[in-house]
Amino acid sequence: MNLDVVHDIQTVYRKLVTATSRPGTLVVLEREAKTLGVQIECLSSTILLARTVLDPEVTFKVIAKEEEAVSRMINQLTYSKPVELPEADFIFILHDASEEQLKEALNHAKVGNLLNPHESAMIILEVPDVTKGDSMILSGPGIQQESIITLPNATSWLGARNEKNREFPLGIDMYFVDQQDRLIALPRTTQIKGNGGEIIWDMLQ
Amino acid sequence: MNKTYNFAFFDEGSKREIRRATLKAIAIPGYQVPFASREMPIGRGWGTGGLQLTLSLIGKDDVLKVIDQGSDESVNAVNIKKLVSDTTGVRTTESTADASLIQSRHRVPEVPLQRDQILILQVPLPEPLRNFEPSEQETKKLHAEREYSGAWLMLFEQIMKYGIMATDADHPVMVHDRYVMAPSPIPRFDNAKLDDSEALILLGAGREKKVYALPPYTNVSSLAFDDYAFEIESFTNHACILCGSNDLFLDELVDGESGETYFQCNDTSNCLEMVNQKQISGVK
Repeated sequence: MNLDVVHDIQTVYRKLVTATSRPGTLVVLEREAKTLGVQIECLSSTILLARTVLDPEVTFKVIAKEEEAVSRMINQLTYSKPVELPEADFIFILHDASEEQLKEALNHAKVGNLLNPHESAMIILEVPDVTKGDSMILSGPGIQQESIITLPNATSWLGARNEKNREFPLGIDMYFVDQQDRLIALPRTTQIKGNGGEIIWDMLQ
Repeated sequence: MNKTYNFAFFDEGSKREIRRATLKAIAIPGYQVPFASREMPIGRGWGTGGLQLTLSLIGKDDVLKVIDQGSDESVNAVNIKKLVSDTTGVRTTESTADASLIQSRHRVPEVPLQRDQILILQVPLPEPLRNFEPSEQETKKLHAEREYSGAWLMLFEQIMKYGIMATDADHPVMVHDRYVMAPSPIPRFDNAKLDDSEALILLGAGREKKVYALPPYTNVSSLAFDDYAFEIESFTNHACILCGSNDLFLDELVDGESGETYFQCNDTSNCLEMVNQKQISGVK
């Protein structure tokens, strides 16, 4: 079965709305991902998200070993233009990006300005498993008091995220996708605390 | 269902643009995100903002409820429902509990919203600071600097003039301790329902080309002073003539023949459900 660009994209969008409005909530894109068939360069969920939000009106950047090939594919699918990091509206950081590349991407992502905080980047980050890794406590809008989630490699992105989101409403919104086509969103409003102090990050990074 | 149109009336590009703005709006609670606002087959100012949000969200499995000032059967609500169901084929309902998407003009339903529902409010004037600052560029600056003394002064002047805060509907609220937001012209009675809501609330202003949002469990407080507390409309000693409720938002109506005033629930579908429930328990 092929991807239905009207109805499948609509369900992906509704799941994105659920994930964004309830940070830390796991949503599953498995059904929609299956319509894409086997993907080689990046995860199916990444393509689904790209097809849901990208078009010629916005720009993107891919961080990956095969950056050029993936950029070309996304461009052909959506007609969106690849640009440099500081200008990109959407930044796709694929599973094979190195820790340095990930940190650099987050450091250079745009956060908007106080007049237009919506002119900020949305980060789509591929991870091995959105249910395994460092335990953390979330709070903020969309979360009833607190919720506990686990996300992988927190040390490589949490410090940069905190730095970027220091001055609300400026900041970046992060979306984590994994190989099982599951998605978790951490918009800029979400406050993250280490659960039991396992997470150590360097604020200067 | 009318198949000469794309599903949900819009082309996919238009939906995508509204969707991007909506995601940003949810990520920045209370901030008005500009969007292109397409031409609609109904006039601007007649719910096009809400309608565009509804059309960008709706899918085949949704159940839609549209209310206009509490009524499911007024012209505006009926026409919006017709347009959406004609172009999508989705089921419409009058029961608040059955709906997955609720588009509303100027009321938050009396039945508490659930986790899997989305409330979409139609907004005529999204800018709470417009009363005293006509320039959009200036109000954007005021929001950027969190400079809300004008909003407070407006309320202060009302107290000086009338002895109370005389906002009636659309009483400004503070969202997530950051943005002052116009909650759309809902009565003050409904302001409390926005705070810590179970459901996602989206607000769309078609003519003014803005969307904004209140994610669930977001802190929303009505602007008030320590010595002049925020007060809701009072219906003390009045009850709905049909269902007898005295703790809901009531409309004051005049009987044409006798000239007497009486009160009736503003949320018609909820009133009907209460009346039906009473009759069922009466039969037992």
